[in-house]
Amino acid sequence: MAPRPTPTDGFPTLTSRSQAETEEVLLKHLPEPGTKTEPVLQKNSHMQFLVRNLVQGFPARYISQDASQPWLMFWTVQAFSILQVALDEGNKQRIIDKVMAWQHPEGGFGGGPGQSAHLLPTYAAVCTLAIVGRPGPRGGWDQIDREKMYQFFMKLKQKDGSFLVAHHSEVDVRGIYCLLTVATILDLMTPELVEGTAAFIASCQTYEGGFASSSHPSYSLSGALLPSPAPRPPLGEAHGGYTFCALASWILLQSYIAQSKHKPTIDVKNLLRWLVQMQGTEAELGGFKGRTNKLVDGCYSWWCGGAFALLEALGVGGIQNAESDEVPIDSGTSDGVWDDVDGGLSISYLELRNWLTDALEGLYNRKALQEYILYAGQHPAGGLRDKPPKNADAYHTLYCLSGLSSAQHHVFPSTLRKHQVLESWKPSGKPGEETRKHIFSDLLSWTEEEGGSHIVGGAANRLNATHPLTNLTMTHTEAMAAHFYGQEVSTRARSSGSRNPKA
Amino acid sequence: MSTETPDDEPLYANRSDWKDVEPLEQYEDINPLAPIFYTEEYKDATNYFRGIVKRGEKSPRVLDLTENIIRQNPAHYSAWQYRYETLLALLPSDNVASSPILEAEVRLMDELAVLFLKTYQVWHHRRLLVALTRKPKRELDFIRKGLEADAKNYHTWSYRQWLLGTFGGRGANVTDAEGGVEDVDEDLWIGELDFVDTMLAQDVRNNSAWHHRFFVVWGCGVREGDEDRERVLKRELTYVKQNISLAPSNPSAWNYLRGVLTHTRTPFSAVADFALPYAYPRGAYHVKDVVDLENPSPSDTAQLPCVQAMEFMADVWEREGGEEKTEQAVKMWTSLANEHDTIRKKYWEHRIREAHLALKGQKRAA
Repeated sequence: MAPRPTPTDGFPTLTSRSQAETEEVLLKHLPEPGTKTEPVLQKNSHMQFLVRNLVQGFPARYISQDASQPWLMFWTVQAFSILQVALDEGNKQRIIDKVMAWQHPEGGFGGGPGQSAHLLPTYAAVCTLAIVGRPGPRGGWDQIDREKMYQFFMKLKQKDGSFLVAHHSEVDVRGIYCLLTVATILDLMTPELVEGTAAFIASCQTYEGGFASSSHPSYSLSGALLPSPAPRPPLGEAHGGYTFCALASWILLQSYIAQSKHKPTIDVKNLLRWLVQMQGTEAELGGFKGRTNKLVDGCYSWWCGGAFALLEALGVGGIQNAESDEVPIDSGTSDGVWDDVDGGLSISYLELRNWLTDALEGLYNRKALQEYILYAGQHPAGGLRDKPPKNADAYHTLYCLSGLSSAQHHVFPSTLRKHQVLESWKPSGKPGEETRKHIFSDLLSWTEEEGGSHIVGGAANRLNATHPLTNLTMTHTEAMAAHFYGQEVSTRARSSGSRNPKA
Repeated sequence: MSTETPDDEPLYANRSDWKDVEPLEQYEDINPLAPIFYTEEYKDATNYFRGIVKRGEKSPRVLDLTENIIRQNPAHYSAWQYRYETLLALLPSDNVASSPILEAEVRLMDELAVLFLKTYQVWHHRRLLVALTRKPKRELDFIRKGLEADAKNYHTWSYRQWLLGTFGGRGANVTDAEGGVEDVDEDLWIGELDFVDTMLAQDVRNNSAWHHRFFVVWGCGVREGDEDRERVLKRELTYVKQNISLAPSNPSAWNYLRGVLTHTRTPFSAVADFALPYAYPRGAYHVKDVVDLENPSPSDTAQLPCVQAMEFMADVWEREGGEEKTEQAVKMWTSLANEHDTIRKKYWEHRIREAHLALKGQKRAA
């Protein structure tokens, strides 16, 4: 049976018309009913697309991305990593040399040589170095001027806890995500740097549950702080990209939120509701959209789909978050907690098992998202895209692959792993040791659940797992962080998530 | 200032008035991977831009050069940034707002914003300029025209909200911590609700417009004439119900309804009578013969049941609590999970689980 189109209620508008057109195109990409073949991730043609960009370069229409050269590089090399491809040493060195040409003499990285430093390319440059760089001379890592970078960050800081993305530029949560990710990996987090930032992030949540680009500055044009409680409304509606950045920032700030006196809060339930509503229906092949009443787009596979893993750090979904006193995880008997409930609410042990399975499989439709990417997201000539009939590009190639990877694997913040990292911490004697230790171990606690993968199309479609906060592989994230914190990455205990005890 | 397209202009390398600047290549001693195939014009202009930045020159010809680059690549944030710094250097120290340089810049931005509607920098530069001109009113008109071309443009809407909050104040006259008062022009807000109405009349599914309505009515302080919040709540509920009745399967309108109820701490059950007929197949509920303005019925062409109404009613019942109501909610979620909104099956099952846990908690407490 063909999926039901989105209702128009006999009241067409511009939105419903483009919605209907999109659904019509998308449905043509479903295989004929009765087809037995599984969808294939065309790894080779995507590889060729990426190699062409890397080696031959980008056509002239990419001039529009001239101020995003670090992004073009990050999208390309991180796509290789997700596709389980490592570059040879010669090419790695050429990439390191190019990245280092973007470092600004006053700290941070710019969109190209001679361009001003900016938070977004700073993230892309540092993450590229996580993939291709190394310690030592010409390795990139030790050539990052961390002290100047910290000063650059502090110069962008605003009175309400937010940051400009660059001098004289806008405030938005993408920049804050980029800053916090880099500061977390490079061991640059301090209480001064992030003071007020969590409250700013919280102020960006809209009534819909997702997050906006920023909130109204709580300082006047003359620069003076407005007295609280001056309204601090979000500017712009809830949006997938900003929601990912805000949520990831919120999690990166957890060590500081725990210590703060006036704890800012976000509405996690409303956020979850909004995120699940962003998944398109069967008529949209289960892709994600970025805003209410907008069209699905492959890149939100990561920005929205990838955000579900982050929610686990806040106690939503996932097996660690099943309330252990309510749900008998290890009990094999049926005389469980529900037997005292009479009437229609008695719940069998089997139902409980189903719930556990649901919790493990996640709160959105991971199978459908994978199908969207495999059926509609792949361009026949290689590379991935927003939706048919659009062309592939570097940005969509990475975020479709990252989204696909996050729909395949269950990566969660393991308390077991966190304790393991905490225990093997080598004291440094530096200030803020306790907080730094927790930031490091929180970052490294993210663990891929063994046996927790569900791969549409079979093992041939498997991708590497990515770290839900950094969108680097676990290995790249851990190696670079360990270098800057002066730590070693301890080997992981072989354990599956479902056996992970609650701390 | 030139407004010709770059194609008509000679390269900077061939211009005698640029002879004194040494152009700088982007990559000097390396052969970079992943190069972009630049056009001659772009390479030429950006080589001279790097040369200018190196010298630290801030002169009128820098405005010409940065405009040239921006026309070729409006996302070149360094060109924008340097342009702004150059403007600041060229502007007189007093009567900034009436300076011809600033006026020319505003005119140029009117043209560029239309060309490059989707670029962050175009809109941010306007903010910087209006902070100098302090003329927000014409901006509202400009935005209205911009939204005719692209009714959901994120930058345009957030710029409008920033303008209203910055120059129109945030409710009561806000004094800053140092006692200074902003130039607050509350008149900016006159017509804002009508503006939202117009936008929603064009497309009732435009979520940006619904968000803007929330900003105007609830998010940014209380406007003169709107002090009676009970009356405002009533007005907004009537408004959103009417719009839902036109096209019920409109998540934007339902989200607004939820937002208003949550913001005003009004129980969801207060609009249960309205929502109920939308949550069931047509004919399952007897529609009253009398037109009930409080609770407009679904239109004749509405496709029922509407999943947003089903979700809403389940929330109403869950919040009421107790075994019977929880069971009603569970029934609704089950119907969503298995029939009407199957893509979100996992989520509806999660809601069932949460509700059961909550019920158990209620019983334990009792």
